[in-house]
Amino acid sequence: MSDHTVRAYDDELMEIGRKITEMGGIAETMLTHAIEALVKGDTELAQRVIATDPKLDALEREIEEKAILTIARRQPMAIDLRALVSAIRIASDIERIGDLAKNVGKRVVAMDGQFAPQKIVGGVVHISDLALERLHRVLDAYAHRDVAAALDVWEHDEEIDQLYNSLFRELLTYMMEDPRNIGFCAHLLFSTKNIERIGDHATNIAETIHYLVTGEAIVADRPRNADAYTPLTTG
Amino acid sequence: MTEKISVRNLKFFYGATLALKGISIPLYANKVTAFIGPSGCGKSTLLRVLNRMYDLYPGQRAEGEVIFDGKNILEPGQDLNLLRARVGMVFQKPTPFPMTIYENIAFGLKLYENLSKSELDGRVEDALKRAALWTEVKDKLGANGLSLSGGQQQRLCIARTVAIRPEVILFDEPCSALDPISTAKIEELIDELKHDYTIAIVTHNMQQAARVSERTAFMYLGELIEFGETSKIFTAPSDPRTQDYITGRFG
Repeated sequence: MSDHTVRAYDDELMEIGRKITEMGGIAETMLTHAIEALVKGDTELAQRVIATDPKLDALEREIEEKAILTIARRQPMAIDLRALVSAIRIASDIERIGDLAKNVGKRVVAMDGQFAPQKIVGGVVHISDLALERLHRVLDAYAHRDVAAALDVWEHDEEIDQLYNSLFRELLTYMMEDPRNIGFCAHLLFSTKNIERIGDHATNIAETIHYLVTGEAIVADRPRNADAYTPLTTG
Repeated sequence: MTEKISVRNLKFFYGATLALKGISIPLYANKVTAFIGPSGCGKSTLLRVLNRMYDLYPGQRAEGEVIFDGKNILEPGQDLNLLRARVGMVFQKPTPFPMTIYENIAFGLKLYENLSKSELDGRVEDALKRAALWTEVKDKLGANGLSLSGGQQQRLCIARTVAIRPEVILFDEPCSALDPISTAKIEELIDELKHDYTIAIVTHNMQQAARVSERTAFMYLGELIEFGETSKIFTAPSDPRTQDYITGRFG
């Protein structure tokens, strides 16, 4: 977004864009580390993830303040107005993603080296990889104002939902097999739910990008698997 | 929606210079249509065609059609005084006559209508009320119109326009010489007036266009680039030139 007659306006908008990119990078790292900590039972790494979160909170506040100031100062129109509103929304989504990664970190700390079979941890890693990949792609789509890429992320949310569903069943099976599994399975279940929510926020960001670039909300219904949210009575 | 005025393929010439290059646009009844665009784009020229103000200047002529209630006002043989009574105009600089507040409004009425003193009093009061000026001037109707503040003078001009009961009111940058409070009062007034009149406003203030109008037309170099719902034009315009202009990216 460049070429305003008033160059300081360009600088303000670019500064906000840079801060979003910075938030995105931090959130990606938090999620990567949280999963690594989960796989290895590395509570120290998990603590670091938790300690990173305030940085994201501060950045979100900063973006919001800068965006509000720019609105007050420039009375933005059209693409500029959409860029600022989108920045506020996306910053809020990334901040939530950071919270969810932090929650996974807290679970790792709470599990404190409890035995978890690699097979089932593997499932959690798989859903995290998917969530990370979607997060990465949607942030890329934002950087390039790429609607097609954003739509692609938006349309494939059900993969994560389905995976969450199958992991949910698997964890229930473990719990039923042996009550001693209930502790770590519950932690893994919450972690999985957190990661699934990260996928939802990536979808929100994709919707915001669509609005930012086209000026229109996505109207079509997202393809959604009817039993993506299996009620607890299942199994 | 009824088209109060339909401009069709309008071309306008200042001597040999083509200032409007074939404009077609509707003005919907009881709606506010805003005209925006850089200086010299032709928006004021277009406004001046709608009541044939340009006729006062030699060497200026219009081609095409301006259909006003089914009749082409560009055709010869128009009663221009009647046309200008039906299509009122408010200018950038307040232009009260150098007479009393009362006479500023009664003057036009006396030209067009034969009214008794009490009828005249009623019409003056009504016009001042419609222009949201009555409470401020009701105790000094004998004071000179020029003694009012700029914002009050502009509302006096609006009252003068409204008094002769036009059908269309043209505003040519009515607030560019006014402070924010007077501007807000004029905008509030426009919002009221549209219930009874069809309104066209030329403004350089983008936020004002966004606030007061239902439809916005963006003009550039004598052409109509984009015309549509104001809410769409200012959030997601279709033409890149519109976007460049309203976001401040024009060279």
